[in-house]
Amino acid sequence: MGTILIVDDTLFMRTLLKNILFSGGHTIAGEAANGEEAVTKYKELKPDLVTMDVVMPKVNGIEALKSIKQLDPAARVIMCTAVGQEQMVKLAIKTGAKGYIVKPFQAPKVLEEVKNVLAS
Amino acid sequence: MKEVPLKIEHDGKWIVIKAGIGEDRISFPAPVDKEILFKSVFDLVEKKNILIISVKGTPETVIRIASIEKVILILKRLILASCNAYRLMAYFMSPAIRGGVLAKNAQWEKGSIVVVKTGIWFVSAAKQISVPLSDVAAIELTKRDVQGKQTDVVRIDHVESGEVVSSLILCPLSTLQVLTNFLKDATKGMDMEGNELDAVTQQVAMLVYSGMDSHAIENMLNLPHKQLDEIYDRIIKLGIAEVVTIRREVQLTTKGVRYISDATKTQKN
Repeated sequence: MGTILIVDDTLFMRTLLKNILFSGGHTIAGEAANGEEAVTKYKELKPDLVTMDVVMPKVNGIEALKSIKQLDPAARVIMCTAVGQEQMVKLAIKTGAKGYIVKPFQAPKVLEEVKNVLAS
Repeated sequence: MKEVPLKIEHDGKWIVIKAGIGEDRISFPAPVDKEILFKSVFDLVEKKNILIISVKGTPETVIRIASIEKVILILKRLILASCNAYRLMAYFMSPAIRGGVLAKNAQWEKGSIVVVKTGIWFVSAAKQISVPLSDVAAIELTKRDVQGKQTDVVRIDHVESGEVVSSLILCPLSTLQVLTNFLKDATKGMDMEGNELDAVTQQVAMLVYSGMDSHAIENMLNLPHKQLDEIYDRIIKLGIAEVVTIRREVQLTTKGVRYISDATKTQKN
């Protein structure tokens, strides 16, 4: 179980992830609606894990991931994007993402991935 | 021919016999008394370690076989290599994504795609994966990064034990187009035929996909119970959802209220 920061520009996806993670016994450290807010909240909350949407306004998920990794090289970040954008996987992994989930996703698999990344 | 023990359905009962398996045929001794040439098989389905083999002829024969994994594996390999099917050499990755999570250690495998009457098979030296057409949720000709190059692939989303699994097929573009068109045509019955969903219904469908229950959906979307019920009716009617559980809401009778009152008193004492 861990504290998790959810980053997504849509309230719907944040609420969905919040419900899934909460049902898995995790604590929601906070939420952010764009990459800039994600970096600020990461500094402030120091969560165990971040779920990060890739396509977001202002600062996108990849840029936010870079900034978080600069702040904390051990940061655990799971990237989250829509079907068809999986080409971002390589870039995200290269940048330091620990996992990757593709929307639409199913709760048990998300929890499994979160568990694996938290254990890493 | 190699003799292997297996179970076969005969006259509505499962019986144990020793079947003879050759390179191009399988023979069943009495009381089944049948010999099947693999090239006359036009459909092969695997359901929970049971192989369902459909054979051409008058009338067509359907044979159900169960055995240990090793025997089933050999049979599948032999039948898929010779049966009456559309076959193409390809690289495949199955599963590539499971439930929205990238499959660990997923890699391209060299093999073939075998299209039989009611399904497709991914076949390699190590794997034979069956995808019934009735479980195919989406087919898309798309691009993926393969060895640093954007390459045309077919993505097939299929439902496997309640999980949505995406598999990828890689072969020459012209073949991919033929395969995509064939699969789209064969699964046309699953299309929505212009029945677009409104935004709230789409969100409900997405939450059901993600595994949320009715209570969670009502809370997340701030929907009254009655409205959610109406949305459920709509998506059930469209054939995109089915009822799996009916939950009941109850209220206590006078007897129940009395019991709880008494129980509380006992706890206080």
